[in-house]
Amino acid sequence: MTTTTVREDRPRQRALDRAAGVWSATSRYAAVLVLLAALFVAFAATQNNFLTSSNIENLLTSVSILWVVSIAMTFVVLTAGIDLSVGSLLALSGIILSHLLNNAGLPGWLAVICTLLAGAVIGGAVNGVLIGRVGLSFFVVTLGTLSLYEGIVNIWSDTKTTYITSSLIDHIGFGKLLGVAYPIWLMIITFAVAFVVLRWTYFGRDVYAVGGNIDAARLSGINVGRTLMAVYAIAGLGAALGGIIQAGRLGAASPLVGQDIPLAAAAAVLLGGTSFTGGVGSVVGTAVGVLFIGTLQNGLSIAGVSSFWQQVVTGVILIVAVSIDRLQRNPSGRFIRRRDTPVKQGG
Amino acid sequence: MSAPAPILHAEGMHKRYGGVHALRGASLSVYPGEVHALIGENGSGKSTLLKILSGQIQPDDGRITFAGEPTGFRNAIDALRRGISTVTQETTLAPDLSIAENVYLGHRMARRGWFIDWRRTRKHARDALARLALDLDPATPARRLRPDQQQMVEIARALSIDARILILDEPTSSLTDDEVEALFGIVRRLGEDGVATIFVSHRINEVFAVADRVTVLRDGHTVGGGPAVDFDRAKLIHLMVGRALEDATAHEQQADADESSVLRVRGLRLPGLLEDVDLDVARGEIVGLAGLIGAGRSELLESLFGLRRAQGAVRVGGHDVLYRNPRLAIRDGVAFVPADRKLQGLVLDMTVRENLMMAATSRQARLRYPSPARELAAVDDVISSLQIRTHSPRSLVSTLSGGNQQKVVLGKWLMMKPKVLMLDEPTRGVDVGAKAEIYRLLFEAATSGIGILVSSSENPELLTLCDRILVMFRGRVAAVLTRDNATEAMIAHFAGGQQ
Repeated sequence: MTTTTVREDRPRQRALDRAAGVWSATSRYAAVLVLLAALFVAFAATQNNFLTSSNIENLLTSVSILWVVSIAMTFVVLTAGIDLSVGSLLALSGIILSHLLNNAGLPGWLAVICTLLAGAVIGGAVNGVLIGRVGLSFFVVTLGTLSLYEGIVNIWSDTKTTYITSSLIDHIGFGKLLGVAYPIWLMIITFAVAFVVLRWTYFGRDVYAVGGNIDAARLSGINVGRTLMAVYAIAGLGAALGGIIQAGRLGAASPLVGQDIPLAAAAAVLLGGTSFTGGVGSVVGTAVGVLFIGTLQNGLSIAGVSSFWQQVVTGVILIVAVSIDRLQRNPSGRFIRRRDTPVKQGG
Repeated sequence: MSAPAPILHAEGMHKRYGGVHALRGASLSVYPGEVHALIGENGSGKSTLLKILSGQIQPDDGRITFAGEPTGFRNAIDALRRGISTVTQETTLAPDLSIAENVYLGHRMARRGWFIDWRRTRKHARDALARLALDLDPATPARRLRPDQQQMVEIARALSIDARILILDEPTSSLTDDEVEALFGIVRRLGEDGVATIFVSHRINEVFAVADRVTVLRDGHTVGGGPAVDFDRAKLIHLMVGRALEDATAHEQQADADESSVLRVRGLRLPGLLEDVDLDVARGEIVGLAGLIGAGRSELLESLFGLRRAQGAVRVGGHDVLYRNPRLAIRDGVAFVPADRKLQGLVLDMTVRENLMMAATSRQARLRYPSPARELAAVDDVISSLQIRTHSPRSLVSTLSGGNQQKVVLGKWLMMKPKVLMLDEPTRGVDVGAKAEIYRLLFEAATSGIGILVSSSENPELLTLCDRILVMFRGRVAAVLTRDNATEAMIAHFAGGQQ
C-alpha cells in the first residue's frame, strides 16, 4: 500500500481496525457471554422468582465481593501470575477493620480508608516485593502468604467472630444510594477505575507488556519489578475492599470468610478470557466471568440445587471454556502443549 | 561413491505457514554414504525442508521416497525409527544427566527385566563414544562438557538409533577450526559405514572441505545442485543470492573531526566470560563484533546494557557509567536490539504501535494517558521511514513477517533517538530483501550521528556494515580489523583462536 492511499483511507481504516480489535477482544469470552445469556433466559423462563428486580439486585450484591476481588486479580493474571492469598487477606482485612472500629475507635470512613491502605500495602510489600523484586515464583509466595495470613487471622481473632457496629459499615452492606445498593456502586466504581487504568495509562500498557513478554519489557526499559509490586498491591486492595463489603454484609468480622474466594476469582478471570500465560485479556471479560458464576449459583439456588453441584458445574464449564479457547487458537495443536522449537525425541 | 539409487528423495515439496510460502516445490536427493551440503540464505526454506524430512512438520504437497518406497513421516518419532536423526544448533542435552543417560534418553537404555541395567548402558555409551573417537567418561554430567563435546554427545545419541541419515543443522557455528576438522573427520568416517549426512552450513569453505554433493535452495525452490567438485565459490554464491554479489554500498565513514567516542570501554571483565575488553565507538561509526558463538559477543553487549554485572570502565557520551539495569542505560540513550526478537525484542500479543512506543515512553509517568494523536503521528512516521509493511499500526505485531518484525524492534529504539545503538544478530531469520533494508537503515542511523555496535556470526554482514571489526575469542578481543584490511579469512583465522 502506498503512502497516499494510507492517508486517504485513514479514518475509515482506523474505524475498521478498531472494530477488528473490539471483536478480537470480545471473541475471547464470547462463548461464556452466550452461555450467560442462555442461562439467564433459561432461569427467567423456568423460575418465577428469577427475573424480579429484588432477585437481580440480590444476584448482583451476592457477587459483589467476588467481583471486586476478581477485577483486581485480573491485573495479576495479566502479568502471568495468580494471587492465592486474596482470600485470607480478605478475612484479615475484616479483622483489621473491626479492630480499627472497635478497639482504636476510629470513625467509620477513616477505618475504611486505613483498611484499604493496609490491604494494598500488605499485598505490595509482601507478595509484591517477594515476586517483583526478589524474583520468587508467584505460586510459592502466594501459597505461603495464604497460609501466613490465615494463621494471623486465627491467632488475632482467637477464631471468634467480632460484631461491628458502625453506620457506615451497615450502609456498605445494606444501604442504598439513588435506589441502588452500595455494593453495586462499589462494583461499578471498581470496574470503571480498572478499565480506565488498564486501557488508558502507561501503567496499563506495562501490565500487558510484562505479561506478554517479560524480557522484552525489561529490555525496553519498563520497570518490571515496580509493575509486579503494583499488581500485587492492587490485588491486596481488591481483597481489602472485598473484606469491607463482607463485613458490611455480615455486620461482623469473621475469620471463616473468603476461603473459596481465590479459586473462584481465578475461575472468573479465566472464564473471562484472560490468558493465564499473561498479556491477553480484559476486565470486561472478568465481569462476564463473575456474572456467569453468580447467575449460575443464584439460579441453581432458586431451583433448589445444592451448592455442591454448583461447584461441579462451575469447574466443568471452566475447563470446557479454556479448552475451547485453546482449540480455537491452535486447532492442530490439539491438547498438546508444543514448544516453538521442535523437541528432539529419543535419538 | 554415489550408489545408483538415492536413499532419500524428496521432490515438489510445498509448505505454507499462514501467508508465508516457505517451500515452493523444493527437491533433494541423498545417496547412501555421502556428505550432502544443503545451503541457502536465511529464509530460503532449508529448515522447513529438514523439518519435513525429520517428521517434525507435514508438507502441504510433495513426494518423498525413502529406501526405494514412497512414504512420508508421520512425526519425529516415526522418522527416527526409520533411521533419520537430527542434530540441531541448540543443545538438547539434559544438563544434569550423565552422558550415558543422555545418549540413551527416551526408554532406550539396556534393561534387565523391568529394571535399567546401568552397567551395560554405560558400556554401550562408552562404545558409542569410542566410535566418535571421544575419550570421555560416560558417567560425566553433560553440564561439565565443553560445547564441542556436548555436540559430539548429541551426535553419539543421533547415531545410537542406527541412523541411516544424519542431519546436522549448522553444526559448526560454535566450534573452533580444530574442532570443525575433528567433526569433518567423523562425518567422513560415517560415510564409509554407509551413513549419509545432510549438512547445513552458512560457510561456503566448509562445503568444499567436506561435502560430496551440494543442493542450493533459494526462496523455497531448489535452484541448483550436483557434485561439489562441479562448483566454485562464486557459482554457489550466485545461486544462493540469485545475482552476483556486487560490492555492498560502502558507507562513507563519518570520520568526525574530533573522533569523540560516544562509547568507550576499558578493561571490561565478567568472570569466566569477558576478559579485559577495550573498545571505542565514535559518533557515526559502525563497529562490528565477530567471533564464534560463545566467544562473548552477546555477553559484552548485555554487560554494556546493564543486564550483567561486569567490572571495568565504561564511558557513554563522556560520562563514566556502568549500568545496573537497562532502564539506566536507556536513560543515557543506549539502545539494544537483542538477538531473539520473539523471545526478547517484541511483545507478540501487542500491536505494532504499542511495541514501537515501548522504549521511548518507558520514562513517562506511569499513570499518564498516552495521547493517541501524538503517538499515532510518531508511529506513522516511523512506519513510513522504515517502510514497515503492516496493515495498520493497530495490527498485532505477531502478524508481521520476520523482516518487518525486526524493523519494529529497530524502530522502537530509533524512536528514542539513541546515542549508541547495539545490535545482536540484527538480520537473523530475515529474508534477503529485508536484510538489505536493515543495512540501509543502519547506514542512515550512523550518518545521523548514532554510534553503532553490531554483533554478528555472519562475517559477510560485518564486512558490509562495519568501519572496524573486533574479533573475539574466548572472552577477549583477539584482533581489531579495519574496513581496508578485513577479510572473511582473517576473521575466521582470529575467531578460531590463532594469533
